[in-house]
Amino acid sequence: MRKTLTILMAVLALTIFLIPCAFAHTPLCSCSDEGDGTILCEGGFSDGSSAAGVEMRVLDSTGKVLIKGKMNEDSEFTFKKPEGEYTFIFDAGPGHEVKVPSSEITE
Amino acid sequence: MTLDEVKRDQECEIVDIISEGIMGQRLLDMGFIPGTRIKVIRNAPLVDPVEFLLKGYHISLRHSEAKKVEVNLL
Amino acid sequence: MSSKSDKIVVALAGQPNSGKSTIFNMLTGARQHVANYPGVTVEKKTGSFRQDGARIELVDLPGTHSLTSYTLEERIARDFLLNDKPAAVVDVVDASNLERNLYLTFQLAEMDVPLVINLNMMDVAEKRGHKIDIQKLSRQLGAPVVPTVGNKGKGKERIRETILATSKKGRAAPFRIDYGDKLEPILDSLEKRLSEETEISGRYPVRWLAVKLMENDEEAQRVVRKYSKKSGTILRLAEEKREAFTLEHKKSPQKVIAIARHKEAQRIVEASVTRKKEITSTLTDRIDQVACNRYLGPVILVATIYLIYEIAIVQGYRITEYTWPVLAWSRDLIASLLPSEGFIFDPFFRSMPLWVVDGTIAVLNYVPIFLILFALIAILEDTGYMARMAFILDRIFRHFGLHGQSVLPMVIGGLYVGGCAIPGVLACRGIKDEKARIATIMIVPLMNCLAKIPFYVLLVGMFFAAYKGIAMFFIATITIIIALSIAKILNLTVLRKKESAPFVMEMPPYHLPTIQGVLRRCLERTWLFVKKIITIVIAVSVIVYVLIYFPGISKERKTHYISQSDQAQQTFFEKTGKDNSYTGLMTGDNLMEFTRYWRDYKKAKMGAKGKNAKEAIDQEFREKNFEFFKIVKKGKYEVKGEMIKDKHAKKVYNAYKKLSKTTNKLRREIKDETIITSYMGRAGRFIEPLTRWAGFNWRVNIALMSAFAAKESSVATLGGIYQSPPGEKDTLEERIKEKEKGWTALHVLAIMLFMAMYPPCIPTLLMVKLETGSTKWMLFATFYPIVLGIIIAVLVFTGGNLLGLSGMQAMIAFYILALIFLVLMGLIKREAEFI
Repeated sequence: MRKTLTILMAVLALTIFLIPCAFAHTPLCSCSDEGDGTILCEGGFSDGSSAAGVEMRVLDSTGKVLIKGKMNEDSEFTFKKPEGEYTFIFDAGPGHEVKVPSSEITE
Repeated sequence: MTLDEVKRDQECEIVDIISEGIMGQRLLDMGFIPGTRIKVIRNAPLVDPVEFLLKGYHISLRHSEAKKVEVNLL
Repeated sequence: MSSKSDKIVVALAGQPNSGKSTIFNMLTGARQHVANYPGVTVEKKTGSFRQDGARIELVDLPGTHSLTSYTLEERIARDFLLNDKPAAVVDVVDASNLERNLYLTFQLAEMDVPLVINLNMMDVAEKRGHKIDIQKLSRQLGAPVVPTVGNKGKGKERIRETILATSKKGRAAPFRIDYGDKLEPILDSLEKRLSEETEISGRYPVRWLAVKLMENDEEAQRVVRKYSKKSGTILRLAEEKREAFTLEHKKSPQKVIAIARHKEAQRIVEASVTRKKEITSTLTDRIDQVACNRYLGPVILVATIYLIYEIAIVQGYRITEYTWPVLAWSRDLIASLLPSEGFIFDPFFRSMPLWVVDGTIAVLNYVPIFLILFALIAILEDTGYMARMAFILDRIFRHFGLHGQSVLPMVIGGLYVGGCAIPGVLACRGIKDEKARIATIMIVPLMNCLAKIPFYVLLVGMFFAAYKGIAMFFIATITIIIALSIAKILNLTVLRKKESAPFVMEMPPYHLPTIQGVLRRCLERTWLFVKKIITIVIAVSVIVYVLIYFPGISKERKTHYISQSDQAQQTFFEKTGKDNSYTGLMTGDNLMEFTRYWRDYKKAKMGAKGKNAKEAIDQEFREKNFEFFKIVKKGKYEVKGEMIKDKHAKKVYNAYKKLSKTTNKLRREIKDETIITSYMGRAGRFIEPLTRWAGFNWRVNIALMSAFAAKESSVATLGGIYQSPPGEKDTLEERIKEKEKGWTALHVLAIMLFMAMYPPCIPTLLMVKLETGSTKWMLFATFYPIVLGIIIAVLVFTGGNLLGLSGMQAMIAFYILALIFLVLMGLIKREAEFI
């Protein structure tokens, strides 16, 4: 009986696979100036998925990559505030990118 | 000769359809009957299928299908 | 004729490309209803209109060239005319192609239903220099003829009047084609026999039946068998006559009949139509010279496909960035109505409904993409370019059991940046060949669904960082390669018994689609989808929730977490300092209130687009609770034009940040523990012996399953499961590598490939059921990818291990293997289908 139950559970569990594309999400990102010389960016996805592990890039005004990194477990990324204009890119893959220009990053 | 042997821009006249069943019926339905004139318009970029002009409209057939149409070159 | 409620039922028939849909829309306007013919996947459109006080219900029959019993569409059209006994049938005829269209007209006339001939596309006929004597034509056909220009609405009144008048007549004008003096006597004798059978003669026009029997029509034979007492004799008689005829005249009766019809059509056209000028090359011809050109054709095709892809998927996805906030807003609205969240635990009646809501809006988020895709598909169909696509690609696709038209669904299902299988499966509707259609439906979900892309990127970033470009190219293209091979395999095995349809395809003249028609179709389809999908999604979400969150963590563990959380709160108060002016605001329940404020603020800020939106949010939260606002703004805020720097608020902010971090960590831990001990977690462990060969141990199983259910990115979940003891700062990769010695790029490759083959999501499966009309296929579409995925994962992992390959090596090796397999599959010849 126990075995059947476990098998049943396993089969039911496989229905996990049938959930509406769980990654069906739009990438979201917001950054703020911490005021102590660092910028804190938080990322996420519209369906509530965390963005932990997603790649980040900071480009200067010429497009050169200044800083590269990944979102931490809290879906956050902190970096030193660069001089001048810069752009922050949250990159979850082609078509899943969010660009935040420094002009939008306020305290 | 059969329709698949007719070259581009050539015209021919249908003699008979050598196929029964759904294939033959389809050809007949679409106007491929004895006496009809057909012109070969072009081949697809990969040679097959072939576009034909008959009675003012265009039909494309695969070579294997055109083979079922017996024609006389004009 | 139905006598109840004054409703007059009229059928609308016509050959494909005659403008039947446009006429249907013209006559019925907004009052339309789409369903399926019972038991099949063919769309049944009904609409209605009022004319002189009567209500007329118009049924749009499938467009067919003829009325044999060979295809489903023809059978449906016939059945409707014979069994539903409409008061009249309107035959929409392409005036510029009269001769061929009459082939169908004759068959309709033989069915004894009062006929109205709608001579449509008169403008095209005129352009071609055809002058049609309407009166003469009407006399010859014995039915009213009404000219129209459907896409301009010309002739609407007249055709409505004629429909009403004809349906009131009650009896069809007798119409006979002379099938020649060799066949007519046979038909007469059959007719006599059939008339004797009252069961039959009461139901079916005997002349029509006699003709069909001589055509060796299966459905006709079935009818005779069913209703006639002496069916055996009649059928044998028909058989004998057929054989004798063929023997004597070297032509089968069906051939003679078909020829007779065409000849009659020819005769009628010659009598009623004068051709003024001999058109040598129409605009369509000139366009086709480029579109079907040997070299330019494929280029234009690729460009078109790319354009569709770019507009629908890439731009469509961008649009979701604007529609998402609307969905998020409604989610938050619902969230605010539910019991509020706790510090580290949320009540069931909050987390479950929210879970369901999240699942639903995740699907609804796709609606903009659907709208665009459906519109583009409609445009492609209407312009006639679809036929050219099939023309160009048929050769290649044929080798894999697919059709030239299969390309569009596959593209929609996803190329490089992603796609969606839901509209992809729907796009298969146009594929006439049933074998190819089902094969296409089965492989569309193997394409690169939008949802899978971020997952690939994450894993590639994790283990193939140095070869990112190559790895992405690999995963993007391997799906097509595998899909084509699978199509061939399906063609050779499961689909073997299905009939392959003849290609014989008309290349219609190019048409400018009407905006109305396109919009109507795209809205119709999107609405239908939303209606059907939502209920199922909700139901499944509930089931999944139970599987993941029950039985839940034990009481002891709960206590453990609560004490952790209490500790963190203690630390918080210590950090803010005893003399902090804000401390009073944060004690007791207020801390929870602040927590909600904090979370709401973060969320709102994240969803906001652009400076103005962000400022608006600040304004909103400032008004909500000014004290809290000061804190979340780190003590920097404006009062009467002056910027204040509030040190106390800043201190609280910093302390709270730490608290928040700890709280989030606790929440994650709770979630992971809940999942591991849940029913699903147990399942993950249960299937481990099998999945081990694919390199998935139970932790990976759970990570995979929860990645798709718990909506945590798989990397985070993996991180949660490989929890490092507090204090250690190892990165995720290091932690994994520690715990699972030997967990390499090979593992990840196996996982990625498994994910690529992943079974389709529920909305897609529903689409599959809709389009195939069978639950059997839906189940097949669910399970075969799992099998396929496991086989490939096992092959890659175990094979890679045995051969001592690195991740990259295995990737390349597998790619080459898949390509070779593909070519081999393509070379296998199907048995000859037709005699």
